[in-house]
Amino acid sequence: MPEKAERKALAQGLARLKENMVTLAELSELAIRKAVDSLSRSDAEVAREVFTLDQELYALQEEIESNCVDLIALHAPVARDLRAITTSLKITTDLDRIGRYAKDIAEIALQFRGQTPPGLKDIVKIPRMADLTIDMVDRAVQAFVNRDAESVRNVMEVDDAVDNLHDEVFQEVVEHMRDGNLPIEAGARYILVNRHLERIADHAVNIGERVVYMVTGDRLPRVRAADRAKAKKRSP
Amino acid sequence: MTAKMRVEGLSAWYGSKRALEDITMDIEEKTVTAIIGPSGCGKSTLIRAMNRMHEIVPKARVEGQVLLDGEDIYERDPVSVRRKVGMIFQRANPFPTMSIYDNVAAGLRLNGMRDRKELDGRVMRSLKQAALWDEVEDSLGKGGSSLSGGQQQRLCIARALAVEPEVILMDEPCSALDPIATAKIEDLIFDLKKDYTVVIVTHNMQQAARVAYHTAFLYLGKLIEFNRTRELFERPREELTEKYITGRFG
Repeated sequence: MPEKAERKALAQGLARLKENMVTLAELSELAIRKAVDSLSRSDAEVAREVFTLDQELYALQEEIESNCVDLIALHAPVARDLRAITTSLKITTDLDRIGRYAKDIAEIALQFRGQTPPGLKDIVKIPRMADLTIDMVDRAVQAFVNRDAESVRNVMEVDDAVDNLHDEVFQEVVEHMRDGNLPIEAGARYILVNRHLERIADHAVNIGERVVYMVTGDRLPRVRAADRAKAKKRSP
Repeated sequence: MTAKMRVEGLSAWYGSKRALEDITMDIEEKTVTAIIGPSGCGKSTLIRAMNRMHEIVPKARVEGQVLLDGEDIYERDPVSVRRKVGMIFQRANPFPTMSIYDNVAAGLRLNGMRDRKELDGRVMRSLKQAALWDEVEDSLGKGGSSLSGGQQQRLCIARALAVEPEVILMDEPCSALDPIATAKIEDLIFDLKKDYTVVIVTHNMQQAARVAYHTAFLYLGKLIEFNRTRELFERPREELTEKYITGRFG
């Protein structure tokens, strides 16, 4: 190419946006980890850290939104740059929601008032559910950070596993409550935590899909879980 | 899509220098097609070859075909081709000694139209189509060069429209205009595509994005990518296009 241009101001703005996005993603991942930790160890201190994180997430999300608007207004970005900006705008909402669910889980942790949540380790698979969900968020976040579409192309399938486990945990909790192994109040809280984790996984799916769009320009078609299962049966 | 024009295997030279290499693309009827690319990429040569103006330059020649409604324009009389395929240039070039009215009527008179009523009607219609009528209806006798730059450009568009072309080629029609005059020309292009097929060469990528349905990206005389404008600016197929439109050349 004869001409040489880098568009320094735009490049600098995009680098700053990416930096903020990586921080936002890492903070929201940290928020879930801490929320789950505060619940399993019944640690009020850690739960309060989640509240602080949630506030930081909100403030950072606002800053990112204004970063994006500035970049669009001042630089009329196209192609890869445009996709990075619109994707960031969309993903911030998912990351913010993840932070809110983390906060909800931390609030539930506080409701146990320092008592070890009954049956959480031995009879209820919530820790397993939390591991799977955190892993999904981590993969989605890493894919965003590394601009790697391939690693999240099958994110929907992992989400199917989370959905199945969600149903299992629900049944499990109901059975233990019915059999008297689990206090009703604790069981009801677990059902909420279970639901929050499942929603977090859905947001991780959104992020994964948007990373694919950001990197490749392809929009992944939404396939219902049942249709995915059928397709899997047909071509094992 | 219905192709109003088809450029097929078109190459062009200035003496021994090759300016276009084997370009093939369809120009869809009653839409706007933009041609973008860095200076010297062959954009202007391409549209000049589309109404046989390229060959006016000494030692310039073309190979390949340019079809208008399926007929090769290089096998027709160049004057009749230019009547059907009009051209608007970068710098507005009204005939300096003629009045606004005479500027628009010039092409018609050249074609032998003498009837005053008919001329009046056609001049008025062309000026209206070019969105200039309201600004000049009381001063049709004034010199064309008394108008502002944007008005002069619209006068040239009216002059081109007067002979009822089917295709309008525009070679950077707004590059000498301020944003308001540019917006007026862009609005005009938006209206023109209802009745005409428009091809516009532009340096301003945002202008291509705003006005064109298809965009062609040329580089070093080659057609690198020809795509729906929306696709080209959101997810270009070619790395070279990506680099050019995001401004990261080098």
